[in-house]
Amino acid sequence: MNNTDRPSSRSALRRLLLVAAVVLGVLVYAYGWRVTDISLEETQDPIRQDSVTRALRELLSPDIFDQDRTSEFVYAAIALGCPEDGTPIEQPAAEPGKPQVTVSPDCGRGGDVITVQGTGFAPHADVFLRWIPPSGQSRPLVRTDVDDSGNFTTRFEIPRIRGSQGETHRLEIEESWPVSLPYFSATTRTVIEKIIETIFLALMATTIAVPIAAILSFLAARNLMRQVQLPLGNVLVGFILLPVGWVLGVTLLSPVATLGMAWGKELWLGLVGPLIALAGYALVDRSVNNVELSLHSLGYHARRIGMNILLLVITVFVIGALGGLGIWLGERLQVGLLADLGNFLGTLGRLIELVITLITGAGAAFFAASVGMELTRDGLKVLTGTPSHIVGGILGAIGGALLFAGLALIANIAALLTLLLPIMTAILGMQVVIMIFNRAVKPTVLAEGDARQTARLIVGIAGAVIAFFLAYDLLETGRGLVDGRLPSSLTWDVLGYQVQSIVAKAALVGGVLSGVGGLLAGTRAIFPLGLTIYNVTRTILNALRSIEPLIMGIVFVIWVGVGPFAGVLALTLHGIAALGKLYSEQTENIDPGPLEAIQATGANRLQTIVYGVVPQIIPPYIAFTMYRWDINVRMSTIIGFVGGGGIGFLLQQQINLLRYQDAGVAVLAIAIVVSALDYASATIRERMV
Amino acid sequence: MLKIEHLTKIYDNGVMALNDVSFEVPDGQFVVIIGLSGSGKSTLLRCINRLIDPTAGRILWNDIDITAATDEELRLIRRRIGMIFQQFNLVKRSSVLTNVLSGRLGYTNPLWSLINYFPRSEREKALEKLERVGIREKAHNRADELSGGQQQRVGIARALMQEPELMLADEPVASLDPATSHSVMKYLELLNKEDGLTVLCSLHFLSLARTYADRIIALKEGRLMFDGLPEDIDDERFKAIYGEDAVRVEIA
Ligand SMILES: Nc1ncnc2c1ncn2[C@@H]1O[C@H](COP(=O)(O)OP(=O)(O)OP(=O)(O)O)[C@@H](O)[C@H]1O
Ligand SMILES: [Mg+2]
Repeated sequence: MNNTDRPSSRSALRRLLLVAAVVLGVLVYAYGWRVTDISLEETQDPIRQDSVTRALRELLSPDIFDQDRTSEFVYAAIALGCPEDGTPIEQPAAEPGKPQVTVSPDCGRGGDVITVQGTGFAPHADVFLRWIPPSGQSRPLVRTDVDDSGNFTTRFEIPRIRGSQGETHRLEIEESWPVSLPYFSATTRTVIEKIIETIFLALMATTIAVPIAAILSFLAARNLMRQVQLPLGNVLVGFILLPVGWVLGVTLLSPVATLGMAWGKELWLGLVGPLIALAGYALVDRSVNNVELSLHSLGYHARRIGMNILLLVITVFVIGALGGLGIWLGERLQVGLLADLGNFLGTLGRLIELVITLITGAGAAFFAASVGMELTRDGLKVLTGTPSHIVGGILGAIGGALLFAGLALIANIAALLTLLLPIMTAILGMQVVIMIFNRAVKPTVLAEGDARQTARLIVGIAGAVIAFFLAYDLLETGRGLVDGRLPSSLTWDVLGYQVQSIVAKAALVGGVLSGVGGLLAGTRAIFPLGLTIYNVTRTILNALRSIEPLIMGIVFVIWVGVGPFAGVLALTLHGIAALGKLYSEQTENIDPGPLEAIQATGANRLQTIVYGVVPQIIPPYIAFTMYRWDINVRMSTIIGFVGGGGIGFLLQQQINLLRYQDAGVAVLAIAIVVSALDYASATIRERMV
Repeated sequence: MLKIEHLTKIYDNGVMALNDVSFEVPDGQFVVIIGLSGSGKSTLLRCINRLIDPTAGRILWNDIDITAATDEELRLIRRRIGMIFQQFNLVKRSSVLTNVLSGRLGYTNPLWSLINYFPRSEREKALEKLERVGIREKAHNRADELSGGQQQRVGIARALMQEPELMLADEPVASLDPATSHSVMKYLELLNKEDGLTVLCSLHFLSLARTYADRIIALKEGRLMFDGLPEDIDDERFKAIYGEDAVRVEIA
């Protein structure tokens, strides 16, 4: 082998590969050509060309304006087939003061050209010629204009009418002139109404999506979440206390919420109650916080927890009262412009009434978790060695059982969601196997380095795969995935309670796996809580974003019926996902310096975000919100096609009825609004960023 | 008294930025940390207020172990440690006053501060601190409208709002011209002499260090190379710290 010949053979091979790739590319392209039915014949079919021309012409002649007109009619007689003796056809008698017309010739056959001359018409009037057979429909012929001196001349072809030879037909000459200024046609008025509905539909969807997306975007920002790391023991305690707090909150705080609602509905109580509550809180806060307490003393913890419970109770009460107030106002404000406001407040109030249980539950759950974490932190910190691993195992088992039971309950919603269980098992399995690997294979056997990394990776993947299929088998995932059925509703008897078998089984799997994990890791292992939340949020946002708003629209139309509300819901849901992603990317791009500086002053996490992050992200957030509104207007024109309200719905009806001139108005309106918004949002974005 | 005991930091990528560093700083001292770029100056300063968690070793401050503090304790410790940065790290779009007030967040009621409410007394205090660094009239400007030197003074005012006992300064004048550098360093000196603040300041230029330091600590590749009086750094020591090829640059 000599060295000079190697490069050339390699380049020959490369050339051959290139040719093969090109051939393959052409084949793929040809296949694409076929499946997309690209056909030149269709485009040249004269009938189709004719209809498309007509449709386009009508679309481009939108029926925007109407004008009131007055008409006067004059008639002439024309014989179809000339008499043999050549006598002229008897014409209607001319009325004095009326315009006159002469036709020449006054007879002929279908296709012959006839000249019409008129005198004494109103200057500049429009003239329409119509052919009226002795029996049957009149046919429009031509239109022309009258000149300055009241005359016109025009020609037309005699229409080919079957079976009316030898009869005398009439020619109608309509002289018409406007008697009013042009005004918007009925179509235009409907279109304007609908385009306003569309703009508001987009606005509502955007404004509802923005706050939710903003909150989620923080959870989906890697730079903010990465720092949130806690010892595993604390995380587990917090997680286990979430459902406990939920149950406690819902049972204990519901009366407070109900009281708030009841007070709110009494107006004065509703206004005064929250104020007194807040003032009371501020007072207690001031007096209690003046006492200096040592950080580790029971008093310090008791104070913090007490104040937070008080805050939670007051918050629930105030939200309830606001809801009640909204309902009260909604019932009272019924007249005129205020009715809209009343309706709005009333709906908000009822919305609060609906979700207040959720709010209390979630609030109490997070509160219980944070209190539990705070109280057990010092205790968990002193645990080392074997006790730390035993406690880790116990906490892990409980936490894992809860998590998997929860996932099993979610799996009951839809067959595909049963996949969550084996996926989660795989993730846990991978971690456990890697931990076992790290313990079993000492660095003395396989030193830290590439080889060890690879071995760890292989072991981890193997663990994940095995765990996945074990769980797949055990937890009836096949039933969901292959047969498309929900988990079995059979129940097991667990300590006297009837528990759905899949929930019990999942809890068992999760408990055992997490128990082993917790045992191996111990309570002191650092758990990347922030990154976990980040990944979960990201996954949910990405999944939501990949569902077309059109499909969401169809689902919401089924739920809340045809109309703009369905459109608002669909665009809101999609907007949350899309904005959440865009926002979080902006948050990830901020300058970390000010954040650090504020953190270094002793500010807490929330303060750091409000003072260090928010000022930096406001301009891009505004820009993206505008951009989203712009997109929403565009999308709401489409979403109307599936019943989501707005102008799309109207456009669809017009097209289905082949009323292209009306559709032209809608298309024009969409074009104007979209380009105006496009321009506006571009301008604002330019100013802001 | 600040005690650094066997401090070691290994970053996730395996870089050993600090290697068994120990020293003590009595209250009221002006300590300057010098060393080549990458020698671990920033890492050392950031370990002290735990912007970075050290890998091993302890940091004791007034007998409290900073390295073992929980989040809540750490917040209370950080309130009394001011920090200023090379890039000033102001929130550029916020007003100077808001930037200064944000130095007070550790003390204020978290709920009020979330809606940007500060008691009158705090606002007055902020203006007072701005007065002290000589830019009171800029209080309502946006932070990014100020020059570099002015921005660093806002940074100092923000740190002063914490009423700190210890001031960490990570190359506070590295992005400023020589004259402005001196004016900023003068403020630090003033705080040290008048208010008795302990100052730990990293600097690039030995000449600046000589002018302001009571004591100089030199790092090289994460190790403590020198710890002593400014006048004890002779040519030989200088070469040991900065390498054979280094020449002394004077800064006016
Ligand atoms: N976040 C990080 N991750 C990994 N390595 C880092 C990180 N920060 C710093 N290092 C490394 O640690 C070493 C010390 O860095 P450090 O920033 O403390 O040096 P410095 O003395 O402040 O340098 P300079 O004068 O350039 O600011 C360097 O080798 C640097 O590359
Ligand atoms: Mg540095």
